[in-house]
Formats: sequence, structure tokens, C-alpha cells
Amino acid sequence: MSNQIAILLAVLLFPGGVFALALGLALKGVDRRVAARLQSRVGPPLMQPFFDIIKLGFKRTMVPAAANETVFLYTPLVGVVSMLIAAALVPITSVYAPDAAIGNLLVLLYLLMIPGIVLMIAGSASGSPYGAIGFSREMALMIAYEGPLVLIAAAVAIRTGMGMGGWATFSLNDIIAYQQTHGAFLFDPVMWPAVAAFCFFYPANLGIVPFDIPEAETEVLEGPIIEYSGPTLALFKVMSAVKKVVVLGLGIALFFPLAPESLVGGLLVWLIKMAVLMLIGITVVRLSTGRMRIDQAFVFFLKWPLLLAVASLAVVVVV
Amino acid sequence: MGLIPDFKKIATRSPWLYRINAGSCNGCDVEMATTALIPRYDVERLGCQYCGSPKHADIVLISGPLTVRVKDAVLRMFDEIPEPKVTVAVGVCPISGGIFRESYAVLAPIDQYIPIDVNVPGCPPRPQAIIAGVAKAIEIWRERL
Repeated sequence: MSNQIAILLAVLLFPGGVFALALGLALKGVDRRVAARLQSRVGPPLMQPFFDIIKLGFKRTMVPAAANETVFLYTPLVGVVSMLIAAALVPITSVYAPDAAIGNLLVLLYLLMIPGIVLMIAGSASGSPYGAIGFSREMALMIAYEGPLVLIAAAVAIRTGMGMGGWATFSLNDIIAYQQTHGAFLFDPVMWPAVAAFCFFYPANLGIVPFDIPEAETEVLEGPIIEYSGPTLALFKVMSAVKKVVVLGLGIALFFPLAPESLVGGLLVWLIKMAVLMLIGITVVRLSTGRMRIDQAFVFFLKWPLLLAVASLAVVVVV
Repeated sequence: MGLIPDFKKIATRSPWLYRINAGSCNGCDVEMATTALIPRYDVERLGCQYCGSPKHADIVLISGPLTVRVKDAVLRMFDEIPEPKVTVAVGVCPISGGIFRESYAVLAPIDQYIPIDVNVPGCPPRPQAIIAGVAKAIEIWRERL
């Protein structure tokens, strides 16, 4: 029973729920602020994403005549719930270790696919042609980036499992424990192709500029979420905020989970790593690149990240 | 219930802008793009953000004299914007038709068809004037929330 309560708290309060949402929105605020400073603008207040969410709560939700109302209104909820559960699966070194009863790395991989699917369903349920374009682009992009992600996860799992004397382990706690004794995978040359592939993967999964093709504001007018307004749009913002925490947290857990033993130190180091990962991989990248076309992104992903991921898997298995 | 007014105050710090071109000559549109895009007049510091979809918008910036051809499209677009919304007419064209006022193809003044809250006259108005208009619109919006 206490186990169930602990899981519920993990999903609703820390590290999922309230904490993940607040952190995701704060990261977004830092991102927008730093982006503005890099363009020598003043930029919005750091709390801007929180203001946006509160504002959307006051607006009215409109359902287009062409939309399937039930699907249109309830899909974003599915996305938010899946991301809250996923956030409870992401470990924070020496602060939080997910309960084996919620799941492991494999469950996390499945949960990470749900926001993309939610965007696809939302786009097609809205009955808007822009939503349909967003749907097809999201689908193509997902096919392109899911493959490398699975291979990266497999490489890490096999590396850990073989190091521990077995075959493959998908427990994130074991992966972190292994790296704490044997050094982080970030400094392990065998894992470098996987690290590189992950660096390509996470901007695509989070919809950051070179790969924000499904939501491209200037061509398909935010694609799948074009018809959403008010609280339902806020749900999408919440989903993407929590997703950012989940994906960056996954990256930290897979490749660089080292942290001091104390509770406060562990959390602090985790937050710093997350901020650095976001500023390098998201803010700078999104300001310094232009948007790819969907065919370019598709070919790019099937060429480089997939190649790197396959290479890393092969190297891990052979070495 | 002191929280709701506080939240409303916070909410007004996030006005999202949407531009409608009602047959403008693009002069005002360039000025609007300039106000948002170049570092000097950054409107993101007010929390503003241009959005692609009318459904996400709070403050509507309309430019142009409303030509006969675009009237239906503009009215339809205007209805797509969820309440509460505030309308800002940018340039002299929405007020009087400007240099197009004698034309048979023009329906200005625009407030015969759309309720206008703030007028920003000028041909084209200065970026500072547009920002002042947006700031004024935020004040009006606060009362409507």
C-alpha cells in the first residue's frame, strides 16, 4: 500500500507532476530569455511560460465544426498523463530512483512515443488541412527518429548488462549504478556514437528548430495544434514542457548520471546538467539553424543518427 | 477569492498577437514585423508572441482598408479568434481608408464591420506607436478577462 502511495506521489508531485511541470516551464523561460540575449534583445521575463499557461486558462476553447469533438478534446489529456507517468520513470541520481513497479527503460521508450501519436491524432481530429499536413510530417519524423532512439537504448542496456555479467539490463537504476562504479558512458569511447546519435535525437523529439517540421509556424501554422485554443492548448504546452524534462532526464540517466551522494547536491547537479544540455542542444541549435524540409530531415535521420546508433550497438556487442 | 484577480493580472502579461492583413499595402505589415523582429523594439519583453493560428491569439492587429474582396475572409478569421480578444487597427487605412479612401474597392472605415478597440494612426505608424497601441490594448484586455 505504501508502495502505491509512493508511486502516486512520484507521478503527481516529485519528480513527475508539479515538479516536472514547473521545471519544464522554467527551462522554457530560460531558453527564451537566453535566446533573446543571444539576439541582443531584452527578452521575456523568466516566468513567461507560466504566464502563458495561466492566460490560456482564461481563454475559451473552440471546437471546429469539422472536428470530432470527443477525440479533439480528450487526446491532449492522454498526452499529459503519459508524460507525467514518464516523468516518474526518470531517475535522479542519489535523489530519486523509480520503483520497479512503474516500469523500466522499455516502458519509458513506449511512453515517449505517445506525445507524437497524440499530436498526430489531435491534428487529424481537428479536421484542418494544416493539421493533416502536420499529421503526415509528424508521422514521417517519428519513423525517422524512433529507430535511432531504440538502438541507443539497446546499446546502453547491453553495455551495462554485459558489464554486470549478464546480457542486457533495462533497469535505469542498474544503468546508473553501473556508471557510478565504472565511470559515465559519456567518457567511454565505445559509447560515443550513441552519445552523438542521442544529440541528434533529442532536438527532433522535442520539436526544436531544425526538426520542428510538423509544427512549423511559418508554413503550416503550428500544424496539429492549429485549431486548439484556451485550456486544451495549455494542455499541449504542459505536455511539451514535461516532455522536455523527460527527454533531457533520460539523456542524463543514460550517459552522464554521476552526482554527489547528498540529496541537495544530487538535485542541484542534475538541474545544472539539465540546463546545460538544454542550452547547448536546444537554444543554440535552434537559433543557429534553419528549418529542414521533411524529406531532408527524414534522409538525414536515416543516414547519420541511425548509422551512428547501429555502429554503437555493433561496437558494444563486439567489444 | 482573491486569487482570481491575481491570476487575471498575471494572464495579461502574456498577450499573443495575430496579424490580419485586410488589403493593406504591406507598409504597416513591414512596420509590425519590424517591431517584433528587430532587437531594438523587442515586444517579447511585454510577453508578446506572434502566433500562426488565429485560435491562439489574444490581440489582433488589423492593417489595411478592408477591401471588398477580403471582407468575408477577414470577418471569418475574426470570428475564429477566441474571446476575450482586443482589436488594434494599425495605420490610417482602417480608420478612414487613407490614400485608398475614394476607391470603389474599399470598405473603410473598418469599424463598421469589426469592433476596433485601439487605433494607431500613421502611414505607416512608427514602431513605437504600434508598441504603445499594443500596451493600450493590454490594458483594455485586462478589463475583459
